[in-house]
Amino acid sequence: MLQLLSRDEIQAIHAAATEVLERVGILIQHDKALQILKDAGAAVDEKKKVVKFPEDLVREALRKTPSSVLLKARDRKRSILIGDGKSYFTNAFGAHYTIDLETGERRLSTLRDLEDFTLLSDYFPTVDYIKPNIIPQDVPKNILEQTMTLSMFKSAEKHCSVISLSPDGFRDVIRMSMILAGGEDEFMKNPSIIDAGFNNVPPLKYSEEIIDMILECARYRIPFDISTGALASASGPVTLAGTIVQGIAENQAIVVLTQLVGPGTPIMWGSCATILDQRCGTAAYGSPENGLIHAAFIQLAHYYGIPYYGAAGVVDSKLPDAQAAYENAINALIATLAGADVVHDAVYGIVESGVTACYEQFAISNEICAAIKRIAKGIRVSKETLGVNIIEAVGHEKNYLTSLDALKFTKKHLLEEQWQPSITDRSSRAEWEKRGSKNIVQRAREKVEEILATHEVEPLDKDDEARMTEVIKERTRRGG
Amino acid sequence: MTSSILEELREAVIEGDLEKSESAVKKAMEANIPPLEAITNGLAKGVREIGDKFSRGEVFLVELIMAGEAMKAGMFLLLPKIKATKTEIKTPGKVVIGTVKGDIHSIGKDIVATLLEANGFEVINIGEDIPTEVFLDKMKEHKPDILGLSSLLTTTMPMQKEIIDSIEKAGLRDKVKIIIGGAPTTKDWAEKIGADGWAGDAVSAVDLARQLVAEKKP
Repeated sequence: MLQLLSRDEIQAIHAAATEVLERVGILIQHDKALQILKDAGAAVDEKKKVVKFPEDLVREALRKTPSSVLLKARDRKRSILIGDGKSYFTNAFGAHYTIDLETGERRLSTLRDLEDFTLLSDYFPTVDYIKPNIIPQDVPKNILEQTMTLSMFKSAEKHCSVISLSPDGFRDVIRMSMILAGGEDEFMKNPSIIDAGFNNVPPLKYSEEIIDMILECARYRIPFDISTGALASASGPVTLAGTIVQGIAENQAIVVLTQLVGPGTPIMWGSCATILDQRCGTAAYGSPENGLIHAAFIQLAHYYGIPYYGAAGVVDSKLPDAQAAYENAINALIATLAGADVVHDAVYGIVESGVTACYEQFAISNEICAAIKRIAKGIRVSKETLGVNIIEAVGHEKNYLTSLDALKFTKKHLLEEQWQPSITDRSSRAEWEKRGSKNIVQRAREKVEEILATHEVEPLDKDDEARMTEVIKERTRRGG
Repeated sequence: MTSSILEELREAVIEGDLEKSESAVKKAMEANIPPLEAITNGLAKGVREIGDKFSRGEVFLVELIMAGEAMKAGMFLLLPKIKATKTEIKTPGKVVIGTVKGDIHSIGKDIVATLLEANGFEVINIGEDIPTEVFLDKMKEHKPDILGLSSLLTTTMPMQKEIIDSIEKAGLRDKVKIIIGGAPTTKDWAEKIGADGWAGDAVSAVDLARQLVAEKKP
């Protein structure tokens, strides 16, 4: 619905990114990866670890990258095909703190929070697949990723992205995912039962650990998202076009490496880039520039023929307040209207730019995203919906509440035409007062409490769960 | 004459103008203004002003950093003179700061370093991906009041603990105040690993540094 760039501008951005890849290159702190790229024809400066990518190498890699990826859910009915033209939404990623639902106090996040946010994600219809919303602080670091994975698998039937913080932890997570898939052979056939996500270190750098995990994904053909994390005016140019150019170059390095190692590995190609607020020295994710960056990136991803994954909808406000609502709404909406294949961070149950999870904010954002999904559906135009016959039948004397034909017509089309809010208040003042004059934060809290008390998911197979637990125990025994 | 040159020094820094800073310093030397005077009532005055304004959200980070660069350009010309006269520059304290091994994130740490400099601290920014033994060597070399350890990754946070442990082991723990920071770190983590302080942003890092130096030098 929204096309920000002209064809010429898309071409100019592509040409500039190609120039950066060819002339400036990308620093990759991984000797094996450097060797693979060198063998494929990239110019590698082994001392500086900088790789320069000729355009044909990038083109060849893009050709091998699938244009869509089927993310399989434990409940297969909820699997989704990323790249089918719709915008799919995820929840937020990785809060270390949580605003306690009962006390309202900000405290360190716990494993229980991860379970609850995953359960809510499973319930909220706007969340199409689930990210680790919480990084629990009450779990030993050496079994953190493994414990998080089991917690998420248990708490959701939708597709879950796994956490990938360290190569060792990630390898354990893959072992646990094999159990979920029904064994190693099944996993090799269907690795998209999970997906992972990675960022670079802007400007133009990748760390050894990230590359290790990306190579692991390529080896198993595990789908993953790669998104530049550039902050315009700090780790990228202040000009939005320049930050997009740099981000493309950063992403393409991974596309090339991945398709060399595991041709056909699905990649969701994207951005969690935004601007640095020059007055506070902080990343401003709720900024309008964030939405513009996504809108432009989406057009480039589609020019390259690969799905776009963008972190749009992040909230900088410290509370679930009016600022939080507008920040979440503008960027998730722009990304959706511009045709993002995945709007990561759309259903944003976090405040404070990814730091502090907030249950109430999650329910409010679910509401905002449901409204955005309605907008994305657009208007149905057909002989039936244009309604000339019903307009004639109602005529001048009756209306749509008094004509039986019109009532039938309304009943038939109502749910297709009108979105039904869940915690939005549209009642009369008298009715609103009768219900306790509550604001949306209070209504959100009640909704969350109700879901947590009632929503249930199909338990994992007992044997599978025991074997996953064994992976965690094994790591504990081995230490480190 | 002196006052107009000092004013020019202050202005050069506020405007972030490196060339103007250098030419004003040359004028100051020709007019025999004592180097410490040129710093205290000229260059440093400008940086303090910009630093205060940044803390109040009145100027941009880019202006703060350029002011710091302008001050450094002027200082570079003054340092030989200061050394020759064997005077010492008064600073609130000396800070060695770096990002731990395995972590190549620089932005947050650099902002903290810049704001500390703007507030008069002497800052030695040793870079990113710094091994524990280098932190120890730099500590022995510079004898800082404060050691700053930055980590942006959950996986590299344990390095902050490792560095503190090895400083302890080397018997140097009481020589220095250690502060940590970085997105995934928390106040709890700082307490758990025996750091002296944690700050969530650059402005509070400066307050923390001031407070810790005051504790150190009663």
